[in-house]
Amino acid sequence: MKAVFAHLTGQNSRQGLWILPLIAGIVGFAWLAVSTDQFATPQNAKNLLAQAMPLIIVAIGQMMVVLLGGLDLSVGAVISFTTAILALDAPAAITIPAVFIAAIAIGFINGTTVTRLNVNPIIATLAMQMIIMGLTRLMRPVAGGEVPEVVKQLVSGAVFGVPFTVFWGLLVCLLAWKMLYGSRFGLHIFAIGGGIASGQSDAAHTFGIADKRTTLLAYIGCSCFAALAGIFLAGRIVSGDPNIGPPFTLDSVTAVAIGGTQLSGGVGSLHGTIIGALVLALLSNGMNLANVSAFVQTAIKGAVLLAVVAFQSRKKIGL
Amino acid sequence: MHPNRSVETPGVPLVEMRNISKSFGPNRVLSSVSLTLAPGSVHALMGENGAGKSTLMKILAGVHHYDDGEIECGGQAERIQSPKHAQELGISTVFQELSLLPNLTIAENMFLGREPIALFGTLDRKRMYEETKAALEELDLKLSPGLLVSELSIAERQFVEIAHGIKARADVFILDEPTAALNAADVEVLNRQIARLKAAGKAVVYISHRMDEIFNVCDTVTVLKDGRHVASEALEGITESDLIGLMVGRDIKDLFPQRGANFEDVLLSVQDLKLQADSPPVSFQLKTGEIVGLAGLEGQGQQDIVRSLVGVFKPDSGHILVSGGARALPLPAREGIRDMQRLGLAFVPEDRKEEGLYLGLSVAHNVGISLHSQRPGLAWAKRYKQQVTDAVTSMSVKASSKDTSVGNLSGGNQQKVLLGRYLAAGMKVLVIEEPTRGVDIGAKSEIYTLLRQFADQGGAVLVLSRETIELIGMSDRIMVCHDQAIIAEMQAAEATEHAILDAALSTSSEANERAAVA
Repeated sequence: MKAVFAHLTGQNSRQGLWILPLIAGIVGFAWLAVSTDQFATPQNAKNLLAQAMPLIIVAIGQMMVVLLGGLDLSVGAVISFTTAILALDAPAAITIPAVFIAAIAIGFINGTTVTRLNVNPIIATLAMQMIIMGLTRLMRPVAGGEVPEVVKQLVSGAVFGVPFTVFWGLLVCLLAWKMLYGSRFGLHIFAIGGGIASGQSDAAHTFGIADKRTTLLAYIGCSCFAALAGIFLAGRIVSGDPNIGPPFTLDSVTAVAIGGTQLSGGVGSLHGTIIGALVLALLSNGMNLANVSAFVQTAIKGAVLLAVVAFQSRKKIGL
Repeated sequence: MHPNRSVETPGVPLVEMRNISKSFGPNRVLSSVSLTLAPGSVHALMGENGAGKSTLMKILAGVHHYDDGEIECGGQAERIQSPKHAQELGISTVFQELSLLPNLTIAENMFLGREPIALFGTLDRKRMYEETKAALEELDLKLSPGLLVSELSIAERQFVEIAHGIKARADVFILDEPTAALNAADVEVLNRQIARLKAAGKAVVYISHRMDEIFNVCDTVTVLKDGRHVASEALEGITESDLIGLMVGRDIKDLFPQRGANFEDVLLSVQDLKLQADSPPVSFQLKTGEIVGLAGLEGQGQQDIVRSLVGVFKPDSGHILVSGGARALPLPAREGIRDMQRLGLAFVPEDRKEEGLYLGLSVAHNVGISLHSQRPGLAWAKRYKQQVTDAVTSMSVKASSKDTSVGNLSGGNQQKVLLGRYLAAGMKVLVIEEPTRGVDIGAKSEIYTLLRQFADQGGAVLVLSRETIELIGMSDRIMVCHDQAIIAEMQAAEATEHAILDAALSTSSEANERAAVA
């Protein structure tokens, strides 16, 4: 019993502290449901889901990189870039593969600069973010264009009253679960991150793990998840928009951190990240309903990130 | 003793390394070294730091590649390519720095790099769990394979590494300073495991600086010096001093400098120090020119006594007088050390890497910090170039320059830097724990000389060490602790290991009488 409790507090747990955000989320949900009439409506539930889904997708990708002790600040740019590509005057059969080819290329460059050239991940991906944002604004300086009908359908359609969004969400989570917990790749991510976090960065290598290749794949995966989120957003706004992506960069990091994943690597969980994204979406949704100014919202999110990271110091949680 | 005298080996050796040479750039670290590992033997590999032990073992473990020579595993010539290849050949290493990953379970660590795969590429966790359980049971370990390694003690982690080797059906186990972080009870368990491996016909390579362990555990020894093979012998019939002689090429008596002669003024005086409210009061004095050793069995309060003097440990009560300045004990934890330094008392902790040095900073910074800390916090930093250079030269620190970061130095040189820090600051009393821990014999001798010089120049040293021979050799006077009290005191020149142990165990009435007199 005591062990279970210790585990839930995040001590000696590879999953980090996820129970606290879950409780906070439930309490917040209950409080909003009771105090605001607009919250518990079908329309708002739809809004909330639509807000949370792309964040969940980006955050899952971000988590893979964070588990390796890295950080990907280019995800927001990849999202914008994706919407810009989809809004080109071309059929979906060309633009959708193009989106993923671009994502793989971006992830490959990110991963290579980090693993082979030993550039700090923050700098490497920040530079990439600037490059991609520049290209995006070149293609589409302001929001506009038309996204193919298929993409629209895939996002906003529904079967038996259940929106497609739910299926996509389940599919992405299942895929991520398989990658993280049901494969060597996932175990190796934890192994490499654990080595880095405990100050023996080549520990995983001495076990015969291809650490550089695994890290590279994680960065590629992260970009692809961001592209997926970009497709989802493009289907919703039905156009290309350079400004839609950037907020997701820090939001994804915040969601990952709220969910108990340690930024130093090796500790974190998929369910924690999903909870983190939901809590953050709930926070935004609640502030929207309360008519909090968008600028204040940004400030509050920043404060939340700071508080969450400061609270989960390595000595208390995890390894 | 005849070099390369061969040892009787039953059957085909598990591993035979012949005439291995290795250079790192222009540095030749191994020249024509040979090592034969017989089944069912525990082979001590000895030599000073830098003698090439670690390099030789890393070659065997596939971490480094050799330039010249040959390796045979089980009669088959092999060129070991990588750590993975070495594992496949049945060579398992428990390195000094533990390599298990703290955030994985025991089972995951056991299988890392070659995980079994079930349907659709999923990890076969059930098989991992069960095979790990079996491997742990083989070592009589009652650990659940699902435990995270971060939850294990250091000893348990080492046993898991050994289990890792057993699981991989390894024939050769390399244990590089396995007991460095273990307490006595865990060493006991480790020795049992080693005996078990030996009985199972495995070969164990055992690297350690602790003589008693070598003689307890091993049956064969190979000595390296400066990258050369000195001797391979059966340990039977070799004495400790023979072995040291082989390692340093000189006699053990020559290790220690001349003892001090005239002790005059009292530099440090401790009165009625009570570690706990109900423990007996401890009083002692240190005079100029004197080196005093504190001996005793593990955990008898000697470390607490030492640490009380600088405020790291909080005793119940007492008084301390350092070169004229009187303070009441316990000292405040935050200010204690700095206050004592102002009075001229410096403390060199046992764990110099964790508690003493700034590993990332240069030699110059590590030495200079004590000079800087004597001045107000916002004062312009002086360069202290001369003082630092003097200290580094007088300590004969072997570093390529003053700007080399301390983390890159050998244990002996790190210790010298730490000593240099306090000598540069003009300290009067040095309180030092385990002055030669993890330090090779050559550097040990230099450190003894440095401490003696410090005493001769009007200082006094209080030293705590687990190595009794060292205490007898370097001190002028030895105080033996038992149950939080100093129970006996003797002149080091007349002390024997036996007498100290007797007193420490507090069994003989003689020791009690001596305590009464003291």
